[in-house]
This record gives sequence, structure tokens and C-alpha cells, in this order.
Amino acid sequence: MSSAMERALDVAPKAVRPSLRARAIPPLAVVAGLAALFAMGADLGLSPGALAAGAGKLGRFLATMLPPSDGGDPMRIVRALGETFAMAFAGTVLAALAALPLGVVGAKSVVAQPALHFGFRRALDIFRGVPALVWALIFVAAFGLGPFGGVLALAIADVPGLAKLYAEAIENADEKPIEGLRAAGAAPPVMLRYGLLPQVAPVMASQTLFYLESNFRHAAVLGIVGAGGIGFELEERIRVFAFNEVAFIVILYVACVAALDLVSQRVRARLA
Amino acid sequence: MLELQGVTKRFGETTAVDGVSLTCGRGELVGIIGRSGAGKSTLLRMINRLSEPDAGRILWEGRDVTGLRNGELRAWRRSCAMIFQQFNLCPRLDVITNVLVGVVAERPLAPTLFKIFPAADRAKAIVELDNLDMAHTALQRAGTLSGGQQQRVAIARAMLQDPDLLLADEPVASLDPVNAEVVMEALQQVCRQRNVPVLVNLHSLDIARTYCTRVIAMAKGAIVFDGPPQGLTPAVLERVYGARAGRTLEPVVVGEAA
Repeated sequence: MSSAMERALDVAPKAVRPSLRARAIPPLAVVAGLAALFAMGADLGLSPGALAAGAGKLGRFLATMLPPSDGGDPMRIVRALGETFAMAFAGTVLAALAALPLGVVGAKSVVAQPALHFGFRRALDIFRGVPALVWALIFVAAFGLGPFGGVLALAIADVPGLAKLYAEAIENADEKPIEGLRAAGAAPPVMLRYGLLPQVAPVMASQTLFYLESNFRHAAVLGIVGAGGIGFELEERIRVFAFNEVAFIVILYVACVAALDLVSQRVRARLA
Repeated sequence: MLELQGVTKRFGETTAVDGVSLTCGRGELVGIIGRSGAGKSTLLRMINRLSEPDAGRILWEGRDVTGLRNGELRAWRRSCAMIFQQFNLCPRLDVITNVLVGVVAERPLAPTLFKIFPAADRAKAIVELDNLDMAHTALQRAGTLSGGQQQRVAIARAMLQDPDLLLADEPVASLDPVNAEVVMEALQQVCRQRNVPVLVNLHSLDIARTYCTRVIAMAKGAIVFDGPPQGLTPAVLERVYGARAGRTLEPVVVGEAA
């Protein structure tokens, strides 16, 4: 045996010859994963036959989509799109306003009380588990059909997630600038204004914009349960099998979502 | 005059600073040396009250500063400016605003929160920057500057505090040799021109020997040497850095003494 081998075996034997167990784990994990995938597929009835049967129907639907038609009143669709954007915007703003104080309280560095912090975070996690769609069903039942319930649903659904992100932004802030201010004799509000705010504001703004994007994408689903906007228009046309008009709306909607994503991404890149 | 009497700081089981007493007069440039963990940083941080001593007193011109609260504490912090290894600037704020932080302790709160400062203060800030050849960066974000430039901005901020005392915690440890020289010369100039005591934590013996009028060496939280830089004999260094450092440093010491 060479002296290098002897010495290496002496100093770090496991690094020279990884154990059989360490080498066997990755391939075994892959095999187990594939087995689980097939088992679940069988459980859900995912068979090639079902796919072929459905594909035929799907093809007929797709054929009726062509050519897309505005149904004679394109302005109505544009207005509905505007309404959906307004819902997303109002929901995001309301959520951000509510999440800001919650995020501050939820930051470990602000509330240095582990039990309280843990309880608060778990409470946020529980509420984060309730999707906007469920809130929309509840609020539409309570406040009636229309965008009001949709806005509330988006706002409530976003608060826990945004509060968590805000809290993390505050926790991740570098403390050195704040210490620099303390050392110069700055009062606590000045420490926050100069040391913390410039660090967290762009991060929070970026996250809020991301929520606006995602709300605009999700707002259509809310319309389907009666919370107004473009989803409402879609639902009406799907019910009467007017798939050429559905196609028109979907194309316009996708274009709007893409445009908003593009603008928001540019702004967020500049913020970061 | 700065006076420390039996100043002690404990972190749990370990005593970071153990009954340190010293006095330091105007115009002294004191280098504090010692191994990592010897208590150098904690000592400086206690002087401007970023850290609270567990025992002992710190006096400035005969006045005890260890009990100061709120407004008085902020006034004290303003009068003993601190310079940090990592500069501790606000990277997203422009350079001049970072320098103006030096006056926030005495400015009313409301305009400060809107980043409004009198033109006279802004002029002072620019003059301090210009003294360090940094005036051209005044409107740049501090985070875009190099380390050496950021440390000069931090010095300008300290100058705007119009300090009676200057503390510097490893101010050149993150800088290249040229920038280290610029920063140390700036500290030397402050010490001479303003005639204030300057306490500098250093890990480079060469820098301590070149710039300091007096060297204090710490080991395990206590002062083991206090005297002129020429007094740093191999025997002293062995006490400061341990047997190994004393041995390896010996030739360097002899070479430099020659």
C-alpha cells in the first residue's frame, strides 16, 4: 500500500472508502420512488385507456374553440379583466396592510420570546393552509355574489403568507448598520428608519408584487365560485359550451397575466 | 481623560473582560493587541455602552458614564465615536446620509425620520468626506463602495459626531495593506489634530508599532502589558500570544528593532 493511502486511511478512512450503506442509499431511493409512483398511479386509475378515451373528447372541445370569438361584446370582457385586476390589487393591498404589523410582531428579532414566537408562527401556518378558494366560498355565501367577497378572500388568504415573509425579511436584516447607528447615539426610531427600513422595504415590496402577480392569476378561479371578474364570465360560457368565447377570454387573460408578470419581474429585479 | 476602574464583563461561564483598569489621556493613540477572544472588542464596546459591564466603572473627565440612560446615553455615544471592522454603514443609503448619521443624536426626531438635515450639516459632512478624498462619492450608495472607501466614510461619520474620544474595533482587519495605511493615518491625524484619545484594537503588531504611542496587550480578559511599543519584547509577546507565538515572532521583532 502506498504511503499516501496508508496516511489517508489513518486520518479519514470514511472519506477514502465510503461505506457500502452510503453508496447503496441513492439507487435504492430511486427504485422505491418509482415503485411508489406506479402504486399511486394504479390507485388513481391512471390507465392508458382512460387517457385515450378522454383525449378524444378533449380534441372535440379544442376544435369548438376555433376560431375564438369575442361573443359580440369585447368591451364586456375587457371590463371583467379590469375588475379581476382590481380585485387582485385591492386584495393584495389589504393583505399587505394587515400583514405588516403581524410580520413585525412575528419576527424573532423583534419579539424575543421563543414560546410566543413559536405559537404565533404556527397560528400563521394553520391559516396559511386554508386556500383562497375556501375563503371565497365562505365570503360569497356571507356577502353575496360579486367582487367584494373575492377581494376579502384574496386578502385573508394572503395575510399569513405575507406576514411570514415580512417577518423573515426583518429577521434576515443585517444588524451591523443598526449597531452603527446605535453607536452614533441614534434614538430607536432613527435606528429602524435608517438601519432596518432601507434593508427590508425593497424585499417586502418585491414579495408584495409577487403576491399581486399570483393573485391576478388566481382571481379567475374565485370568479367561478361567484366572486366576480373574469372567472364569472368564463364560468357562464363554459356552462353553455361556448368554447370559442372561452378561448377568446383565455387568450386575452393569458396575455394580461404575462404582461403583468413581465412588468412585475422587471420592477422586482430593480428592487433587489 | 478616560478612566476605567475594574471593568468586568461575563458571558455565562466565561469572563471576557476581567477587572480592567486603565487611564488614557488626550492625544494618546492606544493600540490594544491580543489573541482573538482576549476581550479587546468587549472592552471597547463597553466604553461606548454597546455592551454593559457587569462590574466596575467607566469615567470620562471624572464623570461616571456607566449609569447613563436614554438621552444622556445617546449623547455619550455620540461623543465617543466608534469605528467597526465591517464599517457598519447603511449600504442602501447614500454616502452623505451615512455621514449625517453622525449628527442624528442631537437633531429633532421628525425631520430626521424624513432624512431632512440643515444645509450647514450637509456642508460639514461634505468637508469631512473631502478630508478623506471621498467627497465625489457623496451621492453614491454606500454599499457600492470598496471596503477601504466604506471605512473612510465611517471615519467621516465619526468625525461628524465631533467626538471627545475615538474607538476603533479592528478598523483595518478587512482592508488591504494600502487602505489599512490610509485608515490608520486618518486615525493618527484625528488623534493629533483634535487632541482626543484614540483606542484601536489591532491584530497586526506591525501596525501597532508604526502608529501607536502606547500599546496595551490583553490576554484572557486582563491587561498583561501597558507601555510604549518598544516595550513589546519577545517575552511580553509570549505572554500575550502564548509560547508558540513568542517563538515564531522573535526573529521578526529583532529584525524590526534593528
